[in-house]
Amino acid sequence: MTDSTIEIRRLTKAYQRGGETLRVLDELDLHMDAGTFYALMGPSGSGKTTLLNLIGGLDVADTGDVIIGGENLSNYSGSQLARWRAENVGFVFQGFNLLPVLSARENVELPLMLSPLKKRERRAQAERALELVGLTDRMDHKPRELSGGQEQRVAIARAIATDPTLILADEPTGDLDRTTANQVLQLLQRLNRELKKTILMVTHDPEAAGYADKVIHLDKGKLGRIEDNRKLAGKA
Amino acid sequence: MPFHLLFRNVTGHWLRSLLTILSVAVAVFLICVLNAVVSGLTRTVSAAASNRLLVQSAVSLYVDLPMAYQQKLAAVPGVEAICKWQWFGGRYEQDKGGFFAQFGIDAEPFRTSYPEITIAEGSYEEFAKNRTACIVGRDTATKYGWKVGQTVPILGTIFQRTDGQPWQFTIAGIYVSDTPTIDQQTMYFRFDYLRESLEQGGAQGPEGVGLYMLRVAPGADPVAVQSAADALFENGPQRVQTTTEAEFNRQFVTMLGDVPTLMQMVGSAVLFAIFFAVLNTMIMAGRERTKDIGILKALGFSDAVTAGLLIGESLLLCALGAVVGIGLGVALEPAFQASVSAMMPGFAFDRSTLLLGAGLALGIGLVSGIVPGLRAARLTTVAALREVG
Ligand SMILES: Nc1ncnc2c1ncn2[C@@H]1O[C@H](COP(=O)(O)OP(=O)(O)OP(=O)(O)O)[C@@H](O)[C@H]1O
Ligand SMILES: [Mg+2]
Repeated sequence: MTDSTIEIRRLTKAYQRGGETLRVLDELDLHMDAGTFYALMGPSGSGKTTLLNLIGGLDVADTGDVIIGGENLSNYSGSQLARWRAENVGFVFQGFNLLPVLSARENVELPLMLSPLKKRERRAQAERALELVGLTDRMDHKPRELSGGQEQRVAIARAIATDPTLILADEPTGDLDRTTANQVLQLLQRLNRELKKTILMVTHDPEAAGYADKVIHLDKGKLGRIEDNRKLAGKA
Repeated sequence: MPFHLLFRNVTGHWLRSLLTILSVAVAVFLICVLNAVVSGLTRTVSAAASNRLLVQSAVSLYVDLPMAYQQKLAAVPGVEAICKWQWFGGRYEQDKGGFFAQFGIDAEPFRTSYPEITIAEGSYEEFAKNRTACIVGRDTATKYGWKVGQTVPILGTIFQRTDGQPWQFTIAGIYVSDTPTIDQQTMYFRFDYLRESLEQGGAQGPEGVGLYMLRVAPGADPVAVQSAADALFENGPQRVQTTTEAEFNRQFVTMLGDVPTLMQMVGSAVLFAIFFAVLNTMIMAGRERTKDIGILKALGFSDAVTAGLLIGESLLLCALGAVVGIGLGVALEPAFQASVSAMMPGFAFDRSTLLLGAGLALGIGLVSGIVPGLRAARLTTVAALREVG
């Protein structure tokens, strides 16, 4: 997949809870352009993580379609989705992201084990990714020997190691202080600007959302307004 | 399959891994010992000669039979030779705490009836000629550094010399045996020497005979000989019980009860305890790694890989435990043999025993890995990632 335009059509996801049906996403329609940095905002429980998981092929919708780069994920089986994720998506989660028993380098190498690369190439590629996030001197450290910001940068290195076109980040700066958060956000912005990655980042933080090109608002499973930071910046 | 992750999961929790390995090792070792005991016992029984019958008192092995029975028993049709056995129960003066058996026997029929015995040093002729001579098993000779021609002092317990001195037996030969029915620790001396000492007042002790061994002539029916021998003393003065050597050995080794069944019960209990311990450890490991499993799945690893990591880890721990346990068994085998061979010359960690230990360990490893492995495989990515931790 080279094109990562995202088309979401009448996407619905509901959970049964105590005999009640909770419609987390309700016939959602959304178009996202390739090569754009999106922030996804909304109150807690509004379905942000659910939407991100559906776009990333981690979960399946009840009805509706997620079409990425012309491929409809609804048609995929579980193992096909796994393969698709390995090739096309990089994930960054909030907080816990890395396997604690592996070093930073080995964590970054992990997704490359699903590619046909040889051991030496995998290692070289993992080191390149760590270099990009500025962690060449921390490659052999275990996650517990890293700071929260460093851990998130390792997670970002892992997300870009396979060179996917789409990066999905669920509150990547949720646990970080302002300065560290800004470093991580600048890094994501660089990945978008320099490497043309399509990025979808869930956040509660308006300042974090300010790093994105566009901000999508989600409320009670429905799409709200979409702000274009570039236009705002242009007007100002 | 990311094998390095599997190894890191093992080394990352090294204390837990080590304890699991050690508990499996102890279990494998115990099961090997128990199995070796059971198979040692059965080997002793099954190696028994079919042409040898043993006549003992119908009351108990501890009750002697009269000397006069010899002639009558020898006259039973089909009996080719007869040999007395008398338990001596002495102690070596230089090692009163040590134990090895001594028996008074008849030199000539003993030689012809027990072809499994070979004289390795010295000569049987010397033993047959000299009344105070004895032959000893190589293990005991080696243990005490005894040489042919040496005289060894044995303190009588059942048979005490009236001068208060120990008995003196001169070693005429050192024997080896190639079946477990005869061990290599025993001292055989001449029954006629014991008898003569008692008659001449040189010693005091019971006057009878512990056992008579009857050798059945080729072609004769052992069962017929057996019932004929029993029938002889049906009306006293003392009833006898004639058994085949196999039956006798079985009875001897199971005097404390049904040893093999007991051993199997202990073995199964050990096995279950360790199985639950390993299973518990692996279930804990699986739960602890719920987030790891979610991340691996998100990255595109298959359900099979997440299950395989846990199954592989469990198998690895149990395999290492088996290696340590079996290694321990092999290393300690000589010590074990030395301490139990008087009772059980067939004791050995043979290949089937070791395979049994290894097989059980791997079985435990497999099942203990499959339980958390299945959970890992079934866990959805989203559910695993939502786990707080
Ligand atoms: N497996 C589930 N079973 C039942 N309800 C669920 C399940 N997963 C999510 N939900 C519910 O769906 C709703 C949306 O959840 P989601 O995690 O997408 O929200 P969110 O916008 O990411 O919230 P937050 O900002 O707190 O992370 C919530 O009310 C949540 O409780
Ligand atoms: Mg969320």
